[in-house]
Amino acid sequence: MSEHLGGATLNLFVDGELGQEEALAVNAHLAECAACTSLTLSQMMLRQATAKAGRRYAVPAGLKERLHARGAEELAGGVTLRKEAEASTQRSLRWSGLGWVAAAVLLLAVGTTMFVERRAAGRAESAALVTEVFDQHVAVLAGSLPPQVVSTDRHTVKPWFQGKIPFSFNLPEGLAEDTALDGANLTYLHDQPVAQLLYHVGRHRVSVFLRERVGDGAGLETSADRAGYHVMSFERGGLEGVAISDVEPARLVGLVKAIEAVQGR
Amino acid sequence: MLPALYNLARWLARDPADAEDLVQETFLKALRGFAGFEPGTNFKAWIFRILRNTYLTSRTGLAARRTVALEDELELDGGVYPEGAIERQTPEVNLMRLSDQAAVEAALEQLSAPLLEVILLCDVEEMKYREIATVLEIPIGTVMSRIARARLALRTALQERPGERRGVRV
Repeated sequence: MSEHLGGATLNLFVDGELGQEEALAVNAHLAECAACTSLTLSQMMLRQATAKAGRRYAVPAGLKERLHARGAEELAGGVTLRKEAEASTQRSLRWSGLGWVAAAVLLLAVGTTMFVERRAAGRAESAALVTEVFDQHVAVLAGSLPPQVVSTDRHTVKPWFQGKIPFSFNLPEGLAEDTALDGANLTYLHDQPVAQLLYHVGRHRVSVFLRERVGDGAGLETSADRAGYHVMSFERGGLEGVAISDVEPARLVGLVKAIEAVQGR
Repeated sequence: MLPALYNLARWLARDPADAEDLVQETFLKALRGFAGFEPGTNFKAWIFRILRNTYLTSRTGLAARRTVALEDELELDGGVYPEGAIERQTPEVNLMRLSDQAAVEAALEQLSAPLLEVILLCDVEEMKYREIATVLEIPIGTVMSRIARARLALRTALQERPGERRGVRV
């Protein structure tokens, strides 16, 4: 891809709607086109700002209770109607319908409560994960020990994890010119074994943590910042990835997208 | 699900009482029509579609429906996809007031209902284009062009004019 990204491609990329090959082609173009990289970054930031501003309105006090009351009225109304019905076949059909209504009331009530609780729990978990990722990355930067596996070759790094972690992953090739793999560590996040892939982008060091996605619990928010470091996450092919670096966010995006694109193949 | 439904309803209805009515009606319609929901299919898209259809038959929604028809006519004329409408040579990101949440909220308020709903479903609810197409009952191509137009409108609204950063009115 040598031409500039079109408006359609830009939005598809930012919204994660491109296929793997198309995403790789876009990444390759971004690696050599500053104008498109800047534009992509601005579109991503606009998306982020819209997402934040768009969550503007909280549920008014008492609305949940009023909805439950209306649901109960609806249910009671249904019972009255059914008492008036004479035909037994009709009755059985309607009681069957009533069962669905009761199930829906239960579903919405439980679903709403669970949604709110899970969202709050998810935020706390996300903040804790950012802290752990930040600590581990800084520890690597500050430490004098080399990576547990030192290699720029993805065919060396990936097999090193065999038998050490309960999942497998893929590593991309054809990264941007000044981006390369330095090695990897086996480490732990939230007591789960993870692969910490170590890259550099120019002079900036990058850690990318890959772990198995467990259940449907909330992972990290899409991106976050901590003390000058940018944290990004993705999910693909049953894996969750979290990257952290002080490199320019658009360049971190390029690397993360390249790693994300090859998972689940 | 209630916080997400109420948030979208409040944006679309632009009035707290209307938004509450909208959510309440959606809730009751969902209860009555729950037997029609196929287990295993997308519950979120299903209930958002009920909300959106309920909105379209509301007082404020009727005006929006006329706007949708007009926009789709424009699309048939071609050329509405804002290719090249973004300046590539200047780092626009530095010129947009993205950190000013009040400005972003004001820019969202200026969007027409068809553009507002599509950008909220995409950016806030993080729905895929296919899901949005299901909720809004429009083709994916229309989803794409509306998202593009919404973002272009937001960019334009958030563009910092020369002098603003220094607090100078122009």
